[in-house]
Amino acid sequence: MLTGLDIEGDTPLHRAPARAKLVGLFVAAVGLFLVSSPFLLGAAAIVAAGLYASTGIAPREAIRRVRFVLITVLLVAAANYLFHSAADALAVLFRLSALVLLAAAVTATTTISAFMDEITLMLRPLERFGLVRAADVSLAVGLVLRFAPEILARYADIREAHRARGLPVRPLGVLVPLVILTLRDADTIALAIDARGFRR
Amino acid sequence: MSTRDLVLVALFAAIIVVLGMLPPITLGFIPVPITAQSLGVMLAGCTLGARRGASACLLVVLLVAIGLPVLSGGRGGLAVFAGPTAGYLVGWVAGALVTGLIAERLVREGQPQLQQYLGFFLAAAVGGIGVVYLLGIAWLSYMSGKAFVETTLASLVFIPGDLIKAVAAALAGRAVLAGYPLLPART
Repeated sequence: MLTGLDIEGDTPLHRAPARAKLVGLFVAAVGLFLVSSPFLLGAAAIVAAGLYASTGIAPREAIRRVRFVLITVLLVAAANYLFHSAADALAVLFRLSALVLLAAAVTATTTISAFMDEITLMLRPLERFGLVRAADVSLAVGLVLRFAPEILARYADIREAHRARGLPVRPLGVLVPLVILTLRDADTIALAIDARGFRR
Repeated sequence: MSTRDLVLVALFAAIIVVLGMLPPITLGFIPVPITAQSLGVMLAGCTLGARRGASACLLVVLLVAIGLPVLSGGRGGLAVFAGPTAGYLVGWVAGALVTGLIAERLVREGQPQLQQYLGFFLAAAVGGIGVVYLLGIAWLSYMSGKAFVETTLASLVFIPGDLIKAVAAALAGRAVLAGYPLLPART
């Protein structure tokens, strides 16, 4: 149910190391905010769209993923057009669209485990000060992926239980038992983790 | 952080993820549909307190960043952070932290019910709305170029829905406190 947004493939972006892509995305983000010419930004948006298309993602899925963010970009651009100038609007539209498309291209070509490796590396300085443990972060990510489907099933169960008793299904009437029943499992899960010696 | 705390953080993050999978509710008198996900953020602070609540939200933000479609409507990935509304998402962490800090100070077990409701509502409104909007609007103004006043005003249409969520968080927070108390007390 909870699968990553990376798509399989063997394009140049797939083969590029995750770190290079993340650093590239960061540099592009800074660069895009330093430029204000609509023409340059328009060119950048076209390049970004090309990179996103080069990941081999199916067109319908490609649009579905960025649709919501691009609508907010469009609204912001429209506000700039209405209250300021067309040049400002185009600059904002192209700058943010380019950034969104580049980011989507990185997400589409980088696996969850490649991201986790980079996060482990970034946490290393914090780990040295004893602030956080990288192993804990990956354990927590694993726990969410493991238990989210179970919690969704429990939500359906609680709704069924309400219906079976002729009670109206109200959001709060379901949420409260869902939270209590889920958090009550914490002791058992923590015992199971400690018994296996995962955290030392 | 003890193993139990770590598990509580992960389970609450999973609850927030599941809340994002439920269909949004539309109320007649508010123009925008309400998603339960930001209710989960307020509830994280009210239920787990500042440290664990903020950690749960940070975990959700991390899941979004590594490319899992865990936000409402199946959104996720780095593109979310590139959009103009990313500040609202990043603001969840600080929002849950402030919600927890206020709740830990105002709400105790054994207080009269009304006092607990009010304490949780105040915590959810200040943390879950005030702090989240502060970061969300700051980011939005930066991203929207010259039209920042207009875009800021436009984002206020979401306030009524969020106030309803703060009420819901207060009701649910008190019920969870009565059924399975986890909120640490602070003086």
